[in-house]
Amino acid sequence: MGSNPSITSVCYKGAENRCMNESRDKDTFEQRLAAAQDKARLTRPKANEAQSGAGAAQKAINLAMRLGVELVAAMVIAVVIGWGLDRLFHTKPWLMVLMVPVGMAAGLRNLVRATGVKTGNRED
Amino acid sequence: MIRKLAFALALSMVPAAAMAEGTMPQMDFQNPLTKSQVEWMAVILVVLYLVLSRWGLPQIGNVLENRERHIASDLEAAHAAKAEADRAVAELNATMKQARDKAQADIAKAEAESKAKAFADAKVLNDKLDAQLAYSENQISEARNAALAAIKPVAADVAATLMVRLTGKAPSEATLTPEIDAALLARKAA
Amino acid sequence: MAGPSIDALGQFRLSPGLGPLGAAVNFTNSNEAMLASAAIIVVLFVLGLRSRAIVPGRLQALIELLYEFVRNMCVDTIGEEGLRFFPLVFTLFSFILLGNLLGLFPYFFAFTSHIAVTLSLALFVFVFSTGVGFYTHGFRFFKFFVPEGVPVWLLPLLVPIEIISYLSRPVSLSVRLFANMTAGHVMWEVFAGFMLLLTASFGVLGAFASVVPLGLNVALVALELLVAGLQAYVFAILTCLYLHDAVHMH
Repeated sequence: MGSNPSITSVCYKGAENRCMNESRDKDTFEQRLAAAQDKARLTRPKANEAQSGAGAAQKAINLAMRLGVELVAAMVIAVVIGWGLDRLFHTKPWLMVLMVPVGMAAGLRNLVRATGVKTGNRED
Repeated sequence: MIRKLAFALALSMVPAAAMAEGTMPQMDFQNPLTKSQVEWMAVILVVLYLVLSRWGLPQIGNVLENRERHIASDLEAAHAAKAEADRAVAELNATMKQARDKAQADIAKAEAESKAKAFADAKVLNDKLDAQLAYSENQISEARNAALAAIKPVAADVAATLMVRLTGKAPSEATLTPEIDAALLARKAA
Repeated sequence: MAGPSIDALGQFRLSPGLGPLGAAVNFTNSNEAMLASAAIIVVLFVLGLRSRAIVPGRLQALIELLYEFVRNMCVDTIGEEGLRFFPLVFTLFSFILLGNLLGLFPYFFAFTSHIAVTLSLALFVFVFSTGVGFYTHGFRFFKFFVPEGVPVWLLPLLVPIEIISYLSRPVSLSVRLFANMTAGHVMWEVFAGFMLLLTASFGVLGAFASVVPLGLNVALVALELLVAGLQAYVFAILTCLYLHDAVHMH
């Protein structure tokens, strides 16, 4: 009768040990599971982050590709419109000349837009 | 910002320099092929658009969605399995604790029972022994009393005989009896 | 001196393609390259979609990457509504990207270096996004040209500027792509022709000296690869940006 309690207590100690091991395993497993779930849920935003975090050099090149052309394109359009209106109203050089500063302003407007003051802030 | 702008302007000069080189086939809008390439491009693009939007892109969307669902369900299953395992472990622990408690309770109960039984047995035995003892003592004291009572006439006799031999005359019964009683009482007290 | 001369622009010359049948319907060598680009895209899809594996193979990963990249671009730039235009943006992006990349190979016609092609694409994007704007907002879309929070007397000046700025979009969109692709190809041709000139003029010494333009051309390949990807990306993201403006009007 006296030996029985000691046996049960040994069993109990063994169980406790196993429980401790299990809880440690469970912790890492739980962490891994949570991490996996986070990853599955956050794939897209992470990708976006990586995308927007592209190097400054690439951003500069990106911008460079746009700015010069933006400036010229507005001018071209302005002059073409001026030329067309001149032909329409037979006011040969005047409307075209008038449109040149407007074209310049529009080009600057394009630059402001492209550098992301109002729209396009996502791109630059 | 200024460096960016300078860089941008320098880069924008490159195509300008290239364009200034001579008559470009790209600017030859009289060429009927210039127009027809755009028309054919429209055809190719429309076909490409239809193929991609009706077949290619939805298919890839499906594949990606499938994967997402698969991963989500796998994670879900892992989660469920973990919860199940946790529950099982808890149950096991509870069962073990219960069994342990029950065993200990049983042990305690058996111990108490046997103790009580032993106590009761001992009590019965004690009572019996006490009773026997009391009875024996009674017997003894009775025997002793009987012996003492029996001794009294003998003692009186012996005393009277002794007195006769010593003094020559027989003592009176009245003087002898109290003396003998006192002596017997003293003996009894001792 | 009748040596070899540098013909930097001959590479852009259009000619009938696909034999006599193609010539009869004015199919050009440029269209051959377009057809090849479109075919490569479709073949990539076919091969990539063959297994539909949960764990993708290399080709499947490639088209999935492309898909997710353009999709994210659409959603990030236009918003969730951008998914409506995703097939269109994807078609344009993949077509231009493949055109740019194929153009880097010898004997392949770089159709994105033709202003007629890029301008048509840009005009399509322009007309389409404007159409989306009017479809979404009706005549209120005209308010897009009226800047907010500006004194009324400035409007006669600002509205034309805004309109010209808006109209210049297809020009800048097309010229950017056209100029970048043309410049790269012209420079290649110039350096390559320079090698021939050096060899013809100075013999063996010139042949050795032509290592320099050769090295430049090799460096240009790397740059042009970058430009090819970047220009397709810029075209696609600007398309998204214009669609964003059309949908959200700011």
